[in-house]
Amino acid sequence: MEKKPKRAKKQQTVLQTKKPAEKAEETEKESSTAKKTATPRRPIWSGSITIGLINVPVKLYAMIYDRGVTFHFLHKTDNAPLKYEKVCTKDGKLVPWTEVVKGYEFSKNQYVIFDKEELDAVKPESDRRIRIDKFVDFFSVDPVYFYSTYALLPDKSADAYALLLQSLEKLGKAGAGRITLRTKEYPALVHAYKGAIVLTTLRYSYDVVDPSRFEELSELKEPQGSEVELARKIITDLSGEFDITQYKDNYRLKVEELLKKKLKGETIVVEKPPKEEVKGLMAALQETLKQLEKK
Amino acid sequence: MVEKLTKVNFTNLDKVLYPKLGVTKAQFIEYYIKMAPRMLPFLKDRPLVLTRYPEGVDKEGFYAKNAPEGMPDWVKTIKLYSHSARHNVNYIICNDLDTLIWLANLAAVEIHMPLSRMDDREKPDFVFFDVDPEEPCTVDNAAEVGLLLKEKLDTIGLKSYVKTSGKKGLHVLVPIVRKYTFEETRAFVHALGIQLMKESDKVVSEFSDTKKPDRVFVDYLQNSLGRTMVCPYSFRVTPDASVSTPVEWDDLKKKIKPAEFNIHSVPGLRKDPWKNIFDNPQTLEEKTFGEKT
Repeated sequence: MEKKPKRAKKQQTVLQTKKPAEKAEETEKESSTAKKTATPRRPIWSGSITIGLINVPVKLYAMIYDRGVTFHFLHKTDNAPLKYEKVCTKDGKLVPWTEVVKGYEFSKNQYVIFDKEELDAVKPESDRRIRIDKFVDFFSVDPVYFYSTYALLPDKSADAYALLLQSLEKLGKAGAGRITLRTKEYPALVHAYKGAIVLTTLRYSYDVVDPSRFEELSELKEPQGSEVELARKIITDLSGEFDITQYKDNYRLKVEELLKKKLKGETIVVEKPPKEEVKGLMAALQETLKQLEKK
Repeated sequence: MVEKLTKVNFTNLDKVLYPKLGVTKAQFIEYYIKMAPRMLPFLKDRPLVLTRYPEGVDKEGFYAKNAPEGMPDWVKTIKLYSHSARHNVNYIICNDLDTLIWLANLAAVEIHMPLSRMDDREKPDFVFFDVDPEEPCTVDNAAEVGLLLKEKLDTIGLKSYVKTSGKKGLHVLVPIVRKYTFEETRAFVHALGIQLMKESDKVVSEFSDTKKPDRVFVDYLQNSLGRTMVCPYSFRVTPDASVSTPVEWDDLKKKIKPAEFNIHSVPGLRKDPWKNIFDNPQTLEEKTFGEKT
């Protein structure tokens, strides 16, 4: 009894998150040629952080962008954008929205039907509050649960905001609580980050698999002494500071470069992508250059 | 966009250079890239002689002393008179990683280096014993003679280093202060060869005995201006993509198989027994065994 509603809820979530995802894509299109992610102008949400009887009014802005490359499917013969249609798998005919209901597939080809009113009745209402239950050490939260991060900016009263920000910074604490964004409720942390209060939504514990449950792991052998020493040495030798800016989405950068040229009307020479073997050479080169630098 | 790590433009990376093992030029170049930190200190400031096999080691290759036409302008060369070629030759100098990679891209299977450096070509910086077994003698006989030679050098207080030739011979080096002429180092090696002859029936060290069957020839003649030794970690022209590999003297006490030191095994060797061997050059005074040739 417990299981089914939970899965049903998950299904529902997937259907609902479709829309925000599409929206995010639109934002992406606007900024795709800009070098840096532009600061968003409009808040996604506004409300207040509630700590007991204290309210801190805030506006919530997007902070994370998935800046992949998006393309649209066009009709080759006339470049017209294509659209998706819902087609009945039984008679092959188009189905208008008025004839669409949601079904949960509880076993192969067997569905339980939900209509809109039934689902609306159980949807969480956004009460425009970020309810903080307690304060925790930010680093005590397992990053595997982190979902997305939003910037919280002062709304109306900046004083309460400034006080909360400074307190969070000084104590290194995060407020743990809940927020309802659109129609989904998330566990969330409110914490200081680079001079701002930010909100990090979290995954539910039951949505994360404990990897130790994989059977393969139960068969691992105990490593031998000399191997352990060697492994330790390799790891120590390769230890360094993590720098996220060293990682680039080269595919996206190249596509943007091509795009710029296309917009200027330049002809494009299609460069062959480096083969597997060149990648091997580049990896070896990087390693050797590092070694030579040390000398 | 992609960070340019080398000035070299790679060509024909799919070309199979060692057909028996299916080694492609990409793997071949990768090997030289990996070994560069160990090779470059040896190559520095020496005019090089190459053997190139652009079609693979089973096809015809060629000796290359002259730098090829149309080479990139950043490759360093030096014009020198070659006695064997009897004219000026534009030799390649490999002082950096890019040049080594460029050589690899030329399918320079063997990289041979002279025993002296450009700034003072008449004064070698090492003494070279080329220990060369002749059929039916094997590398095991070469190892016996090599160990005997090491013992001799130890007793006169000279530290020596050994590498496989990559075939069945061994190369023994004694790094020296750059003040002796080739005539002197040649005499020194020859004198030691004669000593060894007296102690072992297998050893020959006279020019007339070159290629004498069932003997190990200790070649002193390589200690000459214009003669070369295959560079440590250079490939050899063998089916097994073997490499001329520095080893520890103790390794020779077990039976070694030179063919097993190859493109696949050598980059994984953790110790480099020839590391910094030029840091402590030695003197030969009073250690020379009189007889001059």
